[in-house]
Amino acid sequence: MTRTIQREILIPQPPEQVWRAITDSATLAQWMFPNDFEPRVGHQFTFRVPGNPQLKFDGLVVRCEVLECEPPNRLVFSWSAGGAVENTRVSFRLESDGPGTRMFMEHAGFELSQAFGEQAFKGAEYGWTRMLKQLVAVLVGPAAGNI
Amino acid sequence: MHAVADELFKALADPTRRAIFERLAREGEQTVHALTDGAGVSQPAVSKHLAVLKHARLVRDRRAGRETHYRAEPQALAPMIDWIARYERFWDDRLQRLQTLLSKRSTE
Repeated sequence: MTRTIQREILIPQPPEQVWRAITDSATLAQWMFPNDFEPRVGHQFTFRVPGNPQLKFDGLVVRCEVLECEPPNRLVFSWSAGGAVENTRVSFRLESDGPGTRMFMEHAGFELSQAFGEQAFKGAEYGWTRMLKQLVAVLVGPAAGNI
Repeated sequence: MHAVADELFKALADPTRRAIFERLAREGEQTVHALTDGAGVSQPAVSKHLAVLKHARLVRDRRAGRETHYRAEPQALAPMIDWIARYERFWDDRLQRLQTLLSKRSTE
């Protein structure tokens, strides 16, 4: 069972300007993280997420590869951050909306069955997919109100 | 987070335990006797499974006379749900930053 995060936002600036903000390495660093992004398919790059000593967070490196790049409308890159988040996919789609831009962001490929690590439970032999579907149904279904 | 999550996933890795939990979640509170009927395993085995589920906080027990009643605690599944929610917050935060950045640049 994979989960997808989807967001749709309206931005007052035109697609060309939004495109620059998501494909220019320096600008990208300002709203995401330091990176060595280049807007060409096949380019492998990383986001370096800084640590936070107060939260005892050491920081991490997200490994990415540009999968699609069609200025000024579509950018897709892979996103691997280790553990449960391997080979997920981030995509941005930009559409003109009047003078502004409608942006569709999607982060797909979260595999719930790997949510807490591979050490104890590998593969599909435990029926995680089926189980999680049922559990989530139970959790959000009408019966949950009674429990 | 991980200790709790480990218990949770270990508890649910066993198909018999999963069936017990699903049944409690679906049908509401039940005694060990009732659960043993249809579980396909002995009562001591059911009790043992219930102890593991209880340890993972997936079920809660209540004694009434000579019987112990068990009920499901689906909110114990929260760590699994939280995991995706963290990424949702991450993107909401980043997209907000992008919008702020773009609005600053266009007024400059």
